[in-house]
Amino acid sequence: MSHRFTYHALTQMLRKPVYSASLATFRILFGLMILASMIRFFTKGWIEELYIKPVFFFKYYGFEWVHNWGPYTYLLFIICAVSALTFALGYRYRLSAIVLFCSFTYIELLDKTNYLNHYYFVSLALFLMIWLPAHCTCSVDCRRNPALKRRMVPLWTVTSIRLLLGIVYVYAGLAKLNSDWLLEAMPLRLWLPAQNDLPLVGSLLSQTWVAYVFSWFGAVYDLSIPFFLLFRTTRPWAYATVIIFHVATSILFPIGMFPYVMILATLIFFPSATTDAVCMRIQRWIPGIPLAADQSVYTFKRTHSRLLAGLFIPFFLFQLLFPWRYLLYRDELFWTEEGFRFSWRVMLMEKLGYAQFIVEDSKTGKRTVVNNDLFLTDNQEKMMSTQPDFILQYAHMLAQHYKAEGWHEPKVFATIYVNLNGRRSTLYINPSTDLSQEKDKFAHKKWIIPFKDKIYGL
Amino acid sequence: MLYRKTITYLSLLLLCLCGVFACTKGNGTDNQADKLDRKPMLTHYADEYVLPGYDALLQDLNALKDKATAFTANPSATTLAATKSAWQEAYLTWQTVDMLEFGPAEDISLRSYMNTYPATESKIEGNIALGSYNLETFGNKDAQGFPALDYLLNSQSSTGTIDLYTTNAQSAAYKTYLNNVINKMIEKVSAVKTAWGTNRDAFIGATGTDAAGSLSKMTNAVVLYYERFLRSGKIGYPVGAMTGTPLPGHVEAAYSPELSKALAVKALESYIAFYEGKQYNGTAGTNGMKGYLAGIGTKDNGVLMADIISQSLNEGLTALNGLSGTLKDGVSNNRVAVLNVYDKLQGSVALLKVDMVSAFGISITYVDNDGD
Repeated sequence: MSHRFTYHALTQMLRKPVYSASLATFRILFGLMILASMIRFFTKGWIEELYIKPVFFFKYYGFEWVHNWGPYTYLLFIICAVSALTFALGYRYRLSAIVLFCSFTYIELLDKTNYLNHYYFVSLALFLMIWLPAHCTCSVDCRRNPALKRRMVPLWTVTSIRLLLGIVYVYAGLAKLNSDWLLEAMPLRLWLPAQNDLPLVGSLLSQTWVAYVFSWFGAVYDLSIPFFLLFRTTRPWAYATVIIFHVATSILFPIGMFPYVMILATLIFFPSATTDAVCMRIQRWIPGIPLAADQSVYTFKRTHSRLLAGLFIPFFLFQLLFPWRYLLYRDELFWTEEGFRFSWRVMLMEKLGYAQFIVEDSKTGKRTVVNNDLFLTDNQEKMMSTQPDFILQYAHMLAQHYKAEGWHEPKVFATIYVNLNGRRSTLYINPSTDLSQEKDKFAHKKWIIPFKDKIYGL
Repeated sequence: MLYRKTITYLSLLLLCLCGVFACTKGNGTDNQADKLDRKPMLTHYADEYVLPGYDALLQDLNALKDKATAFTANPSATTLAATKSAWQEAYLTWQTVDMLEFGPAEDISLRSYMNTYPATESKIEGNIALGSYNLETFGNKDAQGFPALDYLLNSQSSTGTIDLYTTNAQSAAYKTYLNNVINKMIEKVSAVKTAWGTNRDAFIGATGTDAAGSLSKMTNAVVLYYERFLRSGKIGYPVGAMTGTPLPGHVEAAYSPELSKALAVKALESYIAFYEGKQYNGTAGTNGMKGYLAGIGTKDNGVLMADIISQSLNEGLTALNGLSGTLKDGVSNNRVAVLNVYDKLQGSVALLKVDMVSAFGISITYVDNDGD
């Protein structure tokens, strides 16, 4: 009985009405950040450089069917940018959200070389947003059809975004609980001195103890910040820390828009009543803003509620469990990277490799050394050299390429040296394994030479 | 309430800052931070290696030009020998600056004009026969520079060569070509030297470690040089280390087989000196890549990676020095020994390309990265 009561209480609590301004503000800021990100990609020439110019793309397992659109790839980015704008404006919101989610995710699926955890976060948040009524206030849709206006939404809509952010932080923090990060201050010990020409703080960054301070502070910050953001008394200081922390990381590391996305996204932790009050005040200056003013509550139809529960609960269970899949693999996670992606592992490794591929004709024995520059961009080569699934995909491509050139059943061998967090480089994969014969599976890749050292912790 | 909290927060912040300064003071004697200052390193490379290096090369090329002018004015065994010797001198000097293909040298692809080998005989002869050619074009890269001079001066016996410049029907064209090739080399090296003069301040000012920073550009260039032009170009490719097929015609200075090994030795000695932070004149210094790497302090089994790299490079040099006979003959007839040299050179590639580069924390591209 008590179990049933708890369940009832929980659902009642999650249905409690909160101000929809919270969701709408998130929609606007998030959409504008994506738009800015697309413009940034365009002005830096990265659409060409990352998605059109390469002759080979590293596809995600199961998404081999994703292809760039040649010169029309720009169109793909335009679709994404335009839908980000209409998403922010709340114009044909559901359609915009769907198109934005699909186009953004499609772009990310083009080449896993460009995988960044925050792109994954954006895709996940957009997926959630498709189902949430983020357009029921402060949107073009409301202006066109005032009947849509609702000042209140059920708590769970806002909570689900907070939960996603919380998972990102806490899992990023858990990933830092390892001996390299905490006991060796690696990789910050290598990365911080590289920024020692910054004004004022520069010389401090060369000091080893500063790397330790940053490492420990970073771990504590990630693990605790969502909780400090949740409570009224700690929230202002927590948010000030969010700003300082992310601005610092954006100065120190080349992580693009991520810090700013997080600074704006975490605003959703502020109480919805505050956000609503701020919106109302803004409306006093700009009267045209279509805000819901009554106490109307957005209600989901019973069938919709059931459907969404059936969608969101598995979604979050997946988010909670998926990052732990690395435990199913035997060797060191940082070394094999089996189960590394999609787990909020950020800034954890300084890993570099040197890969030399040799193709051999099975019949004549003729051998050649592959010039990686002919097939890969600098960035692709860098990513390929340290990640076994990339190595295998590349080897398969080479086998195909040389076969088409008239070689008989080309064998592909690779001599690869990799170092990790300041350890001396060692041989990474078995140089006598014919990679053309190996399949890309989720099982452990036996041709990876086991890690020589031990990293303790999660 | 809020007031009291503000006070608490601010005092905590103050405490932290005090801690920071106290620690900084405490660490004042630790000069590790000084070693990690990139400006003195870049200043050292610009002023004590690059600029004097190109000066020396230009001086040798001008000397070569004088000898070649004397030879073409009066072809004789004496003037030919003087030209050959000046060519050899300049070629050895080239080895000391070949690794510097970043900044101005990279902008004009200096190496491709100076040392694309093997030279293509038919192209050189074709140009001479035709009398009109443009050495600036990509298609003529293998018809100029030191390798083309090697062909023009050393591919025949001394009397045979003198005949080309005297009795041969095209002797005038030969003379012109010889002088034109040397002039082109002087033009290119002068351009690089001038550009370095104007770019020096920008070079030492770009202390960042992003892809636009000087350390990143310089390191990537010298690491690429070691792998592709020193290890593979001079030894690996001719011996067929990867293919199993020797290509004796692809050794450097193929018409002067007794010189190939000396060029490789000079190149590797220069490389070690460059890495260790020696001045161009050989004076030892501490502001080089080795000192910087030692400052970062990465180690293997308690030994600094900075020292491991020195040791590994010197093992390559010892193996190379120990090679008997010529490289041209050795790649076919002394394969075990030459392949051993290759392996020793190969041993340093991962150390430079992976261990040094990752310790430096330099980027190769401008794209976003959240740390792998």
